[in-house]
Amino acid sequence: MREQTAIPTSTERPASETVAVAPATAVEGERRTGLRWTDIVLNGLTLLYFLFALFPLVWMLILSLKPQDDLFTTYFVFEPTLAAYREVLGGSGQVGTRFLGFFFNSLIVSAGAVLISLIVGVPAAYAFARWRFRGGESLLFTLLSFRFAPELMVIIPLLVIYRRFGLFDTHLGLIWVYQLITLPLIVWILRSYFQDLTPELEQSALLDGYNRPQAFMKVAVPLIRPGLAAAGLLAFIFAWNSFVFPFALTGSNAQTVTVGSLSFLGGATPRYNLTAAAALIALIPPLLLALSIQRFLVRGLTFGAVKG
Amino acid sequence: MASLTLHGVRKEYGQVVALDSLDLDVRDGEFFVLLGPSGAGKTTTLKCVAGLEGLSAGRVEIGGRDVTDAEPNSRHVAMAFENYALYPQYTVYDNIAFPLRSPRYRVSAQEATSRIDRVTTTLGINQLLERAPRELSGGQRQRVALARVLVRPADVLLLDEPLSHLDAKLRAAMRTELKSLGDLQHTTSLYVTHDYLEALALGDRIAVLREGKLVQVGTREEMWHQPVDLFVAQAFGQPRINLVLGEIVRTDRGQAFRDQDGAFVIPLGDVDVPAQRSVWLGLRPRDLVLGESTGMHPLQGRVYVVESLGRQLEVTVDVGAQRISLVVPRTEIEPDTMVTFSVPPHRLLLFDAASERRLEMAPAVGHQAGASHV
Repeated sequence: MREQTAIPTSTERPASETVAVAPATAVEGERRTGLRWTDIVLNGLTLLYFLFALFPLVWMLILSLKPQDDLFTTYFVFEPTLAAYREVLGGSGQVGTRFLGFFFNSLIVSAGAVLISLIVGVPAAYAFARWRFRGGESLLFTLLSFRFAPELMVIIPLLVIYRRFGLFDTHLGLIWVYQLITLPLIVWILRSYFQDLTPELEQSALLDGYNRPQAFMKVAVPLIRPGLAAAGLLAFIFAWNSFVFPFALTGSNAQTVTVGSLSFLGGATPRYNLTAAAALIALIPPLLLALSIQRFLVRGLTFGAVKG
Repeated sequence: MASLTLHGVRKEYGQVVALDSLDLDVRDGEFFVLLGPSGAGKTTTLKCVAGLEGLSAGRVEIGGRDVTDAEPNSRHVAMAFENYALYPQYTVYDNIAFPLRSPRYRVSAQEATSRIDRVTTTLGINQLLERAPRELSGGQRQRVALARVLVRPADVLLLDEPLSHLDAKLRAAMRTELKSLGDLQHTTSLYVTHDYLEALALGDRIAVLREGKLVQVGTREEMWHQPVDLFVAQAFGQPRINLVLGEIVRTDRGQAFRDQDGAFVIPLGDVDVPAQRSVWLGLRPRDLVLGESTGMHPLQGRVYVVESLGRQLEVTVDVGAQRISLVVPRTEIEPDTMVTFSVPPHRLLLFDAASERRLEMAPAVGHQAGASHV
């Protein structure tokens, strides 16, 4: 060949570059001119929303610190006491041991439900993302419909079935019925994560000498870890907060913290301070979980997989 | 090492036919290039060979073994993807080591280290081994992808536009480098590109694909001098081959080509061209020379535009209604002046206007006839 200047035949590259660059510069320009005003307004609005959203929590905190006599007053002057917490956590016999029981029931049932949903849901989400198969779409929609169908609709038949099969008031029974809550979440969230992964990564693994399950486990799953964390956390919170299922399907053995907290209201005098304390304690596990996996919630692990 | 054969391979995606009865025969150790515009089915061909796509019909054989229904990981095939497909969660070293840790190609850690060391030294990426793929430039990622392919044993290497996302300078450098890689030269390779320069520079043989069909297979000389049709003629060369629509007319000195308004007449001599109502005449810009030259047929035209290609000039000349490109050595030439340029008669290509197929001409006789007729 004689010497020539190579003329790129493909016009895609330069085009996509200019598209990528243009918005970035536009944003920077905006920042320089309108920095003060928008910042103040946005922060103000955020603060306002914050107060609005957190007020119920603050109210509960106040309630839980009030002595029994001040429970029904609406002013903020009282002598704070930790008596409610002490009582709930077992300071005085019966109530305490029961609450801890509710608490551990919730832990077992929620964690168990999420675990099983992950084991079933991750491969399912992968299959939905990668392959089109007969009935796939309607199956996916059916899963989603579990989320928007009211739980009360199925609760009576479920109760009958559970009683007959000995699943009533068992951990296994709750874990099973919680799949209605956790599985759709996990499948739907993870499906979109898998769709974002270029199939060429797994194809490359296939050619590198791995079979399909190995390519799935070694290449695809590690890359959706942020999605696993997010979906797992969400599913856990939903399971933890579930009220109707444990309310109808458990007795004294497998009762969860959501239902159990109400038992403080059943007596001659409603013990709102105990309920508030119980609810605040019950807030801790999801909160700790969210904090511990926070770093996984950041997306971006997939950057650099393919050409930028 | 092995030969690679495709028998009547057909691939449909719903209603779309991506590959249509494709027959290919890649010899053992050959570097075979698939050339075609985007959407021609080049990547689909590679994926069919790799087993990543199932065939709608046809057979694929590697080393005489029918692998049509074999799983990708049992075909003994390595592939470099167009988007590199580096595993983002692993370092460069682990990326390259990935096939060597697989159940199928496992080697000892020691052996892996020494192989990786050799291949990364060759490719000049041995200082990047601890980096993550996202910390690499496009050129570096491409080398890592190539290293991952070369580090492991394979019967057939599949390379999908490995150079297409590099800038022009790096692409030229990598082209040279690819050519010097011994492993590539001795392993049966199927290389996909849309860049005809890469095809000509690298390919032992080249196949041109168009809309899922094979147009022509041959050596670079055959592609350049004997394209089967207009599509192949236009696929090679920058600037593109000049095409003039006209007809074959009879003169007292034999046959001649005449364009529609009669300004562009080139005697073909006493050649055996079937009488055609209308034909395309193909002239490669680099075959034309400025001025008159013995043994060539001169033509007059007005210079339309002059562009610099460095040491050469691309000159566009209007001859009647035709606009002809020439690539000539750098010289003083002004737009809007009249120039004479010469056409080498043995480099002419004629295509039937209806079928767009090239027409064979008897070469020897046309040579003398061109010079005498002024």
